Amino acid sequence: MSIIHPVQSVVSSENEQVIYTVVKNMLLAYKKSEAKDSSYQLVGKWIDDTAIGGDNQEGTNNEGIKKAKSNEGTAVSKNGQGSNMSTPSTHAYIRNLTLSKNEDRLFACTDSDKAIIILDIDFENMENCLNLVKRQRFPKRPNAIAISNDEKTIMIADKFGDVYSMDVDAPVVEKINDEVEPILGHVSMLTDILFKESKNGKRFIITADRDEHIKISHFPQSFIVDKWLFGHKEFVSSINAPQWKCNLLLSAGGDDSVFFWDWESGKLLSEFNYAELVKPYLTEQHAAPSRFQNEANDVVEYAVSKVVSLENLPYVAFFIEATNVLFILSADLENNTLTLKAKIDLPGNVVSLSACKDAFILSLDNRDLGNSNFVKFIKFNNETNDFSIDEPLSSQLDSVLVDSLKTNDSATVESNEIYPLYNVTSLKKHGEHYS
Amino acid sequence: RAHSNPFSDHQLEYPSCPGDMNWGKLYPYYYNDETKEMTKKVTIADIGCGFGGLLVDLSPEFPENLMLGMEIRVQVTNYVEDRIIALRNNHIGKYQNVNVIRGNAMKFLPNFFEKAQLEKMFFCFPDPHFKQRKHKARIITDTLLSEYAYVLKEGGVVYTITDVEDLHNWMVKHLTEHPLFERLNEEWETTDKCVSIMRNATEEGKKVARKQGAKYVACFKRLPDPTII
Repeated sequence: MSIIHPVQSVVSSENEQVIYTVVKNMLLAYKKSEAKDSSYQLVGKWIDDTAIGGDNQEGTNNEGIKKAKSNEGTAVSKNGQGSNMSTPSTHAYIRNLTLSKNEDRLFACTDSDKAIIILDIDFENMENCLNLVKRQRFPKRPNAIAISNDEKTIMIADKFGDVYSMDVDAPVVEKINDEVEPILGHVSMLTDILFKESKNGKRFIITADRDEHIKISHFPQSFIVDKWLFGHKEFVSSINAPQWKCNLLLSAGGDDSVFFWDWESGKLLSEFNYAELVKPYLTEQHAAPSRFQNEANDVVEYAVSKVVSLENLPYVAFFIEATNVLFILSADLENNTLTLKAKIDLPGNVVSLSACKDAFILSLDNRDLGNSNFVKFIKFNNETNDFSIDEPLSSQLDSVLVDSLKTNDSATVESNEIYPLYNVTSLKKHGEHYS
Repeated sequence: RAHSNPFSDHQLEYPSCPGDMNWGKLYPYYYNDETKEMTKKVTIADIGCGFGGLLVDLSPEFPENLMLGMEIRVQVTNYVEDRIIALRNNHIGKYQNVNVIRGNAMKFLPNFFEKAQLEKMFFCFPDPHFKQRKHKARIITDTLLSEYAYVLKEGGVVYTITDVEDLHNWMVKHLTEHPLFERLNEEWETTDKCVSIMRNATEEGKKVARKQGAKYVACFKRLPDPTII
């Protein structure tokens, strides 16, 4: 049976008026008009035309190429061929969807050609608000991006451990291997990157890797390492800097805890251990691979996929890969502790999580839920002093999503043709190499 | 084995941070049982120490310094461990200031050493990784130099020696271009006792000498951090 592909990631404008989603190799923008009680409408679409071949994707390719040509020109279609040949298993995944602070640009990474894409957002264009303005390939797959405060520079952290700095408005560099050097690096896969300014106005880049390391380097003098934050015993998959105070940092990954740091002093403020909380939500999907199993067959492996924080309220949310629950923590900024505020059970596994001013937005693995429950908005209710799913808003977006995608050949797939939705826990190291 | 892939997930032991390192196990003479503290810290590191020839020759020359060899190959590390145990047994009170650990310095150096802890770092006859696409595996790269600069104190010295001219040029280029290092001149090299020990002490150095091959030396001083913009 064919279904609409689950939403791999979702981000929102500050006030939830515009929602940007990734569905397979597509970026889709949905917007509410200014009128009260108005509903979301599809206002923008961009397709990654360098999609890797396959019978069911031919339609996509043609449509995409047309689009890309009007957007960017020849460099785009040229790029696809090499990766078609060498890496047949690559998906045209679009990762790390990021909205600029003033909400006029979208940034993302494309797996198909290891590129950073920059799209202008222009709601004056009634046909399509998304317009690709730059597509810069990199030598290795970009894993995470960070935007400087002036939004002129973006930092790209790649799978090979290098960080590149890119001027947003500069022309595309054709021979990036020869012309561009990394500004800093780890000898480990990078998983996340942040740009931060300290109390006294100094700028820093914070990078996280698969070797438990969080490194803080100066910017633009990135050759000066400020410090490492030590404490993780497993890989770090996600870091987040809450807006409430400029010295705060959250991090999580393969460890049983969410870490709460003062990154300026380098001090670990506290940890929130979720090992007991997550137990009821673990399934056979969390069993360790057979070669790392014990005799009782009860070794489980799980990891935090993403940790985020609300801009206006001192709340943190995180989820463990392949579980159908969102944990929301309350941050006590006097004692620098995190405590459990809410547990939100969901109809499917959480796939992605983001936060805006005062809502958490997540997308679900809804392949068994009959074209519903794509995206959930989770909001704080002042009267009940608790978080809950905003069902009317969520289902309204769901129905618009279905309407806009049900006749889209690219978004409609067989349920066994879903892009990989779970790729964090596999970062765990097993120390297989002895010599 | 002559090589080891620095990017692999090796079965390694390393402290979660410098404060967690059990140095007393490596240098029992410098561990105070009452205060549970070390009386000295490691200040000299030999990165990729091989069979330990440099450490053994440096030990009596720098009796006031603790020195650590880091080697990624298991068998080689075991050999150096045995060699140091034998030396300590045969020369009572001597060679207590040197030891070796198996580790991946390219990944975990900051787990062992604090900011500005080291006075000298040696890179003797490193793996040349000839292929272009393997250059990131070289022990001297722009991005790793920033980490070496972090563990080195101001005025500290990076020593390099190799018999591969291409690698020598590569190391000189990257160290010269790095804002936190400045090359020391030949005159300095001729007066520094570590340079002559490095030329003659290591097993690799002796092998090159037997073959009458060239040895290329370059040493660099850790400059102070510039004013932070």
